[in-house]
Amino acid sequence: MSAFTTPQSSIRRQLPVVRRRRYNRGLLGAVAFIAAESMFFSGLFLAYFFLRTDTTLTVRSDQPLHPSIALPLFNTLILTVSVAAMAWAERSIARDDQRNLIVGTTVAAALGLIFMLLQSVEFSRFVTEGFTPNSSAFGSTFFALLIFHVLRVFAGVTFMLIVLVRAFMGQFSRHRRAAVQACAAYWYFIFAVWLLVLAVLYRS
Amino acid sequence: MASVSIPIEKPGMWARVAAWLTTVDHKRIGIMYLASSFFFFLLSGIFALIIRLQLAQPGMELVNQNVYNELFTMHGTGMIFLFVIPFLVGLGNYIVPLQLGARDMAFPRINALGFWLLLFAGLVMEGGFLIGGTASNAAWTAYVPLSTRQFSPQVGMDIWLFGIVLVGISSTLGAVNFLVTIYTMRAPGMTLWRIPFFTWTIIVTAAMILLATPVLTAALIMLISDRNFNTQFFTTANPRLWQNMFWFYSHPAVYIMILPAMGVLSEVIPVFSRKPLFGWKAMVLSTILIGVLGFTTWVHHMFVSGVDPLVERFFMFTTMVIAVPTGVKIFSWIATMWKGSLNLKTPLLMCLGFISTFVIGGISGVMQGAIPIDMQVHNTYWVVAHFHYVLFGGSVFGIFAGMYYWLPKITGRMLNDKLGKFHFALMWIGFNTAFFPMHILGLEGMPRRIATYAADRGWDLPNLIATIGAFMIAASVLLFMINYVVSIVARRGEVAGDDPWEANTLEWATSSPPPVYNFARTPVVESERPLYDQRMAAQAKPQA
Ligand code: HEM
Ligand SMILES: [Cu+2]
Repeated sequence: MSAFTTPQSSIRRQLPVVRRRRYNRGLLGAVAFIAAESMFFSGLFLAYFFLRTDTTLTVRSDQPLHPSIALPLFNTLILTVSVAAMAWAERSIARDDQRNLIVGTTVAAALGLIFMLLQSVEFSRFVTEGFTPNSSAFGSTFFALLIFHVLRVFAGVTFMLIVLVRAFMGQFSRHRRAAVQACAAYWYFIFAVWLLVLAVLYRS
Repeated sequence: MASVSIPIEKPGMWARVAAWLTTVDHKRIGIMYLASSFFFFLLSGIFALIIRLQLAQPGMELVNQNVYNELFTMHGTGMIFLFVIPFLVGLGNYIVPLQLGARDMAFPRINALGFWLLLFAGLVMEGGFLIGGTASNAAWTAYVPLSTRQFSPQVGMDIWLFGIVLVGISSTLGAVNFLVTIYTMRAPGMTLWRIPFFTWTIIVTAAMILLATPVLTAALIMLISDRNFNTQFFTTANPRLWQNMFWFYSHPAVYIMILPAMGVLSEVIPVFSRKPLFGWKAMVLSTILIGVLGFTTWVHHMFVSGVDPLVERFFMFTTMVIAVPTGVKIFSWIATMWKGSLNLKTPLLMCLGFISTFVIGGISGVMQGAIPIDMQVHNTYWVVAHFHYVLFGGSVFGIFAGMYYWLPKITGRMLNDKLGKFHFALMWIGFNTAFFPMHILGLEGMPRRIATYAADRGWDLPNLIATIGAFMIAASVLLFMINYVVSIVARRGEVAGDDPWEANTLEWATSSPPPVYNFARTPVVESERPLYDQRMAAQAKPQA
């Protein structure tokens, strides 16, 4: 017997043989990961509502419970356009359009960067008003939601840059685009979280 | 025909070490998980022995209260985060792809990342003993305000928290990997109902890890931030925020630690009773139900925390309800063994050990699920007895059942069965000697987490007995290690062959240990017991 033949028992030989079904594992993995991420934010929201509804704590009146919503609304617009661009990029590669994949992803990533920039403007506005993560338990949870969201935006933009590099190297096609789909799914998730953050922090 | 044999150069030692360090093979990663978590089992066990020595008699001065606090904290978290969970994950890593008839996990590199993260996290958590000289000492629950900077100023606490964050990331990555692997890499014909039972428990466990762990991660980050960046999450007068977030993870965690062990039993008992698992669908459904209900009971840990009584009653109810699907499992195992032709080898004995002790732990659990009883026994040794009956009596007996069952597959050699039986007997007796007296101590009012006690409380004798029991357990684990060294390392054990137990699932359809690629050809599955079908077919059609 040569060293390269597999020793096989009778049972192993008798098992019939067929091809396997194919699945989009990258996308499934991203969906599972997003489920975990949404539980992370559930934890933060839980903490926020716990501290807000806790009658043993008084939310101090000098703090902006209903801060001005103009800038966040503008930021929502930016994120909406960014999500649309990403969706368009995803659609493009589904039709084997490499150029528009690059255009769409670039636009989405650039808008994501602008969002991060405007969030930092928002943070400094709060801080100059004397409302900081250290000012109270309420301030801590308020900022936790904003900061962890913007960290996700950062992660999403990084993911897009990776997709862009790979797109420039011509690694995607109609048949090979799991990373684009995963990136887009994550970006939609970040958008959904933002809508919740907006509703809860600014209008509830 | 003459076959040509090409001489293959044997790789040197460093090449082999490098191969292990860079491997992405699920089997090697699984083995590394098993080895490292067994190491942490021994380490955390040594802490337990020191604890028991200190408590052997009233007024002992082996360690002081501060060191004692570090010891039980590191004992508890070592056992949970660095032994039981990663050991079961490691077993899943090795066995699940084989049971599915797959070549590897869906994301092999993420799999490797998960292991190295975990090992690093373990070293970080224990690192507090070296860095700054004081490890975490605020108990495994790390309740605020005890765990805040004010009352636990040491760096050891910060790096311990950070270590648990890493453990959480590692197990979340693992959970994603398991779910995608099981969904997409099943052998053709393996419908949901035909997924082997151990793999089913891994599905539910992975889902629980996925949904529970991030909440703990959030809480840990908030605590780290309070300690280091002066945020105010947990500094308020209300300590229940931490308790809610902590127990939202940590109650599901007890099912994360028990479900895969139940999966082991559900593999071993049918094989060693020569019967199919009784009530297959009911067993699968009860596993799923436990997974769902596991998320609805966490407040039973907070019955003395001043929660609204109506809310408390709701959680008392859910706690009682979850005992039902758990009972289904016990009955199914007993019905499977009923009138079976029992093959009383060590794996089955370990399962019997599981059932006998887990039932006691389950009953004491339902008892303390009743609010008035919990008010009495909360924070006493009763609770310590209870959770060791489920965690040691359940998970650890399940883990040893799994080792005696699958180590022949993993290593290619059988463990010595006689020595195994001694190991089982000594561990079972030692376990009950160590932990049964703690029920009495608890009812007599001995609080947990105290470093010593006065002689006039009547606690001396049960404590002494418990300490003797602890050393019996240690001796039994030593027997296991001797068995492993003699039978496997020194190669004195019988050669296992492909299928030493005449088992049912696909991992036994390949060689022991399996080749890197697991299966030369993709197997096809027509029931939940593909190998049983094969044997039956072979009997019906004798060789022509
Ligand atoms: C050799 C076997 C073991 C012995 C003798 C032992 C002994 C003990 C004792 C005496 C305590 C109470 C310390 C105190 O409250 O002052 C304790 C706590 C604990 N043990 Fe074990 N144990 C063993 C195995 C295990 C295993 C296998 C697990 C988990 C899988 C475990 C998990 C825990 C946990 C979570 C705590 C609570 C720590 C805390 O209060 O923060 N133990 N153990
Ligand atoms: Cu619980």
